[in-house]
Amino acid sequence: MRVDVVVVGAGTAGLVAAVRAAQSGRKVLVLAKGAGATHLAPLTIDVLGYAPERVESPARELAPFIAAHPEHPYARTGEAAIAEALDWFRGVMGDAYPYTGGLERNMLLPSAIGAPRPSALVPVTMAEGDLRRDEPMCLVGLRPLKDFHAALAADNITRLGVQARAVELDLDVDRADVNALGLARAFDRPEVRALVAAQLALRLRAGERVGFPAVLGLRHAPTVWRELQERLGRPVFEIPTVPPSVPGLRVDAILLGALRAAGGRIIIGSEVVGAAPDADGVTVRARAAGRDVEHRADWLVLATGGFAEGSITLGSDWRARETVLDLPLAHVPAPGEPRFAPGLFDEHPMSRVGVAVDDGLRPVGPDGRRVHERVLVAGASIGGAVPWKEHSGEGISVTTGHHAAGQLAGVAPSVGVAA
Amino acid sequence: MTTLQTEVLVVGGGATGAGIAWDAALRGYDVILVDRADLAEGTSGRFHGLLHSGGRYVVKDPVAARECIAENEIVRRVAAGTVEDTGGLFVTTPDDDPEYADRFLDGCRETGVPAEEIDVAQALRDEPRLNPGIRRAIRVPDASIDVWQLVWALANGAAARGARILPYHRVVALRREGDAVTGADLRDERTGEDVRIEAGFTINASGAWAHQIAEMAGIEGVSVVPGKGIMIAMNHRLVNTVVNRCTMPADGDILVPIRTVSVIGTTDIRSAHPDDLPVTQEEVDAMLDDGDRLVPGLRESRALRVWAGVRPLFDDKKAGEGGSTRDVSRGTALLDHLERDGVHRFITITGGKLTTYRLMAEEAVDAMVEQLGHDRPCTTSTTPLPGSEDGEHMTPGARLRRRERHLLTEQLICECELIEKSTLEETMRARGTHNLDDIRRNLRLGMGPCQGGFCIPRAVGILHAMHRMDVEEANRSLRTFLEERWKGLWPILHGDQLRQARLDDWIFQGLLDVEHLPGDARRDVAAAVHTGVRPGSAEDGDLQPTPAPGSAHDSTAGPS
Repeated sequence: MRVDVVVVGAGTAGLVAAVRAAQSGRKVLVLAKGAGATHLAPLTIDVLGYAPERVESPARELAPFIAAHPEHPYARTGEAAIAEALDWFRGVMGDAYPYTGGLERNMLLPSAIGAPRPSALVPVTMAEGDLRRDEPMCLVGLRPLKDFHAALAADNITRLGVQARAVELDLDVDRADVNALGLARAFDRPEVRALVAAQLALRLRAGERVGFPAVLGLRHAPTVWRELQERLGRPVFEIPTVPPSVPGLRVDAILLGALRAAGGRIIIGSEVVGAAPDADGVTVRARAAGRDVEHRADWLVLATGGFAEGSITLGSDWRARETVLDLPLAHVPAPGEPRFAPGLFDEHPMSRVGVAVDDGLRPVGPDGRRVHERVLVAGASIGGAVPWKEHSGEGISVTTGHHAAGQLAGVAPSVGVAA
Repeated sequence: MTTLQTEVLVVGGGATGAGIAWDAALRGYDVILVDRADLAEGTSGRFHGLLHSGGRYVVKDPVAARECIAENEIVRRVAAGTVEDTGGLFVTTPDDDPEYADRFLDGCRETGVPAEEIDVAQALRDEPRLNPGIRRAIRVPDASIDVWQLVWALANGAAARGARILPYHRVVALRREGDAVTGADLRDERTGEDVRIEAGFTINASGAWAHQIAEMAGIEGVSVVPGKGIMIAMNHRLVNTVVNRCTMPADGDILVPIRTVSVIGTTDIRSAHPDDLPVTQEEVDAMLDDGDRLVPGLRESRALRVWAGVRPLFDDKKAGEGGSTRDVSRGTALLDHLERDGVHRFITITGGKLTTYRLMAEEAVDAMVEQLGHDRPCTTSTTPLPGSEDGEHMTPGARLRRRERHLLTEQLICECELIEKSTLEETMRARGTHNLDDIRRNLRLGMGPCQGGFCIPRAVGILHAMHRMDVEEANRSLRTFLEERWKGLWPILHGDQLRQARLDDWIFQGLLDVEHLPGDARRDVAAAVHTGVRPGSAEDGDLQPTPAPGSAHDSTAGPS
């Protein structure tokens, strides 16, 4: 099949790149081995939370951060690209899953155990949990869900200076164990919400805002959230839980819808097993249902992720490898050098390993020269960041995905496309 | 200070010490067992899980081989519920001398270790992951044993007969009156309380730490050299039979299937100190190479974690002076300090191996009984331990069977090891502990492929909700667990386990943000978000300025 752009990977970075490219008129095909890491992530758009002290204002602190980290993905895209990407993302989410906030101020949202998470752009369904405000909180534990620790979170939040307490609700779901996704589907049903609101109504105190685990609806999240606010007559907010991530699934569905609406295609379960870039484009070989299919594209956007996604691997020979194109990796400790530090929270030599890219997001070798003109890299494949510590993961994915598509938009359509 | 009286004080809560407590309690003695940490937290909890048939020693040390097979047969009976009857194989790899197998078979005949040479083709059918180049294969009755289950069965059995089990009680001094040891002063490591024990007899079963305890009684020259051995747990059962290389014992020549994993081991490196056992990347590399000879591809298989244990290698300075040391056999040393040093009511037992824990306990208690002039015979070879009364061995599928019965009615807290919420709560209550590491040893919580990625926050949440720990302790214990776990992870991280570790980084740091929980003072400064709880600190100005009163209520005017 012949397309303008093949995007490899269906996580946040890949889908952002694909949607933007498709919306700008490109013929886009997304090939992905499986559902992307969006399903696992909270999808608060954390741009920069720690550097290493807590960041209050990304707008103010990004410039010095970039200056201090010239190899960081943000240094490649530039600061302006971050703001553009966030605006774009917010626009795509629209009313289907509205976001609020921005780079001016990080919000501080409680985690499922009550730690404060700095986050720039957040779903409105989570925003009322901002710990910079001091209205007391009541956190609602749902007995079938084992991944939300209402009492522990409440105690930690109280220690942070916001009065918080926990209540626990029984939810009759026919079995002892239900994950976040199962509960979210239950909350999509109006009778479940009515029941929860009725159970809660008498247990809430004046002035309390109400925090739930992030299970308030899968397909109808804004409706569920608004309805609960109305029924309870007070602010309601969600707190993300461990995977599966309901907010991630919501965003994933919206991005996929936007991709299809713009004429893009996606094949999940199609693992790219080889790609041969040349001067005019890339020939991609993908394996689906035991059969190899070749695709030809003018551009390939590699958005396969890093170690967590299995796209960069460290072999038992201790060599790191990018698995699709065998791209050169930066920040790899030399053989025999320490790979990790003995302290969990220390800086580990392996943490920043990833593909090195230039300002056009093309992969570069150790000499800084592009190794492929027709390949762009986005998301966690790019090295130079420690996103889980910086709290920059979704920020990097959205920004580099958006920026990669922008690089395509900036190039005139090739003759091949017209033909 | 609390003062307790007992007939027998046992110092050291490993398999030997717990075995002594059980043995002495069965003979009708009043017993207190103490350990500076949890039971089976030291050497016993850090071995590979192999209940030896004796095969490993038939050529090098026939005495040890005879002891092993005798004890193997006894332990299979009395501790049946902690043993999985895996069977064992000795295989000649292409790197080994095939003639050693003849010496091996001769040794088995001489020592009474049942051994049967089988077709290589049969061995490969039974264990398809084995090196296809093996040239000989000999079947022996090796087995695997869950040491935590064993040690707790011993302790619980003793407790049921009145013994008091005191984990986390560190001996700070042995009490001596004249030429006798009369007990010990302890510190409760959890409460800081001082505890005095007045004991009629004291048995030092502290293994690699035996010299430290003996010195407290003023006894010099009990020289125990710590021998470090590393082991790596692979994330599933690469084999279902214990596999040994058919060579003189060396490094990395045993692969043991135990519970849900298999363990490759081990090494023997003399260490300076039993509490300082760092694992290096080089040792891991060598161990993976060794494992690859037994099971090709082991190097690329998923390694879960690495740990080091310490053997107590006895090297008595008074040995050879005649009569002072009863060298029971290789490795095991029973020191009667009355004979050896003129100190009454105190013996030391050290060295040995887990397989012979019962025999060591029997010999130690026999020595005590003899010194006391009593006549109370040992019954541990015929008395089943709690949980082993029916003689049924453990099987890898037992938890799955239980789980299937409770699928809709019970929450599953640990998917890797199939631990249900009620089991977790019962264990916490029964043990009276809220230490995640204690619970890990009892239930294997956090020991599966995800290494606690999902179950540990759940367990902390449950403990907190049960009011077993307050929020500060919950935070501290979560962080401590993760930091301790990391020590066994980082030297082996590659392939899929690195992928898992990175997912765990995302969960614990990106999503839950454990690093910035309010916990200790240093973190509190960084974590406090609100004026009400900001710790007063000279460094405040370096962090976030406190919003002016009044503005804190305004969502648009957060800390600026």
